[in-house]
Amino acid sequence: MKQVSSMSELFERLNDLKVVFRYGQKMIPIIQSLLDFMKETVPLLEDINTSIADTTSKIPRAKDQITNVSSQTELATTEILDVVDSISLDVEKVDKILHDIKSKEDEKKNDWEAIRKLVPASKEADKIIKHYESIEVFSSTIPAIEEIFGKIRNDVYKITLSLQVQDITSQQLAAVNHLIESVRMKLSSLIVHLDQTELDSIDNVSLDMPENAAFNPDAVYTKSSERQDTADELINSINNKATQDEIDKLFS
Amino acid sequence: MDLKFLVVDDSVTMRRIVINSLKNLSYDNFVEAGDGREAMDKLIADSSINFVITDWNMPNVSGLELVKSIRNDEKLSKLWILMVTTRGVKEDIIEALNARVNNYIVKPFTPQILKEKIDQIINV
Repeated sequence: MKQVSSMSELFERLNDLKVVFRYGQKMIPIIQSLLDFMKETVPLLEDINTSIADTTSKIPRAKDQITNVSSQTELATTEILDVVDSISLDVEKVDKILHDIKSKEDEKKNDWEAIRKLVPASKEADKIIKHYESIEVFSSTIPAIEEIFGKIRNDVYKITLSLQVQDITSQQLAAVNHLIESVRMKLSSLIVHLDQTELDSIDNVSLDMPENAAFNPDAVYTKSSERQDTADELINSINNKATQDEIDKLFS
Repeated sequence: MDLKFLVVDDSVTMRRIVINSLKNLSYDNFVEAGDGREAMDKLIADSSINFVITDWNMPNVSGLELVKSIRNDEKLSKLWILMVTTRGVKEDIIEALNARVNNYIVKPFTPQILKEKIDQIINV
């Protein structure tokens, strides 16, 4: 009896095993397709890794190029300022020459007046003096020349002021460079991760601008006086002894 | 009034523009510095400087740190300080005013604004 019971138990176990095998047979195609999927995915991941590595390696060059653009515009601006300074100096020299000529012309005028007084009765002498005065073109054109040189001086100064754009754009470029460097560091960490080695503090890489940066990421070249008006209102509030709360209320 | 200016900016271009503008306003006494640290050295070495025009964002020692250092120094605390910077948001302006700058200009500046601010400072 005991033998029969053992045999039926054995058949039961064999049946269980058969079920497992059948189940296994059904699972094989699924596992196969999973393996196929992984075979296709691994090269894709390797491609992504290579592509990230390639991009990351190019970033320092991009950074260098931006730095070069910044230095070259600074150099060009310095050259423009040199020319502008040279023009200003020349204008100053011409101004001085004009001033000297003007005082000599005034002296001349006074001399003619004196001559006229010395020969009051001579109509002929008076005629000659009048004729001489009428052909003295230069003294009458001095004010016009001075006006032109005044305009040149103003225009040259306007050029100088507009060169502030160089400082502002170089700050913007420095901010872009900082951003690029942050992205490079993030990508480098990602490559380490894909290479299955220990992840190197990917979360510690920040895209924020550093507090004590030598540039202002929000630098703007604008002719609008809005921001200066804000500063003026704040300064006026403080000069009128307004409290900080009152100042804040003004701009809330 | 005899004014001797210390123009502090890490940009050579900006220093030249500010100095040209001061010349245009008939001022002729200037000293230059490229950052806050150099500015402090110049202020300590030259007691005839009485007016500081400074940028904010600079390497080593920023303009704001320079303002705080000047105000905390017994000998320098009374100097006139005008900040000329690209930082134009309310919080920045308040921070500079709290550090006790005498006035504040947002870049790009115009000659009229520069004249107005210098006059306001020396006439208070």
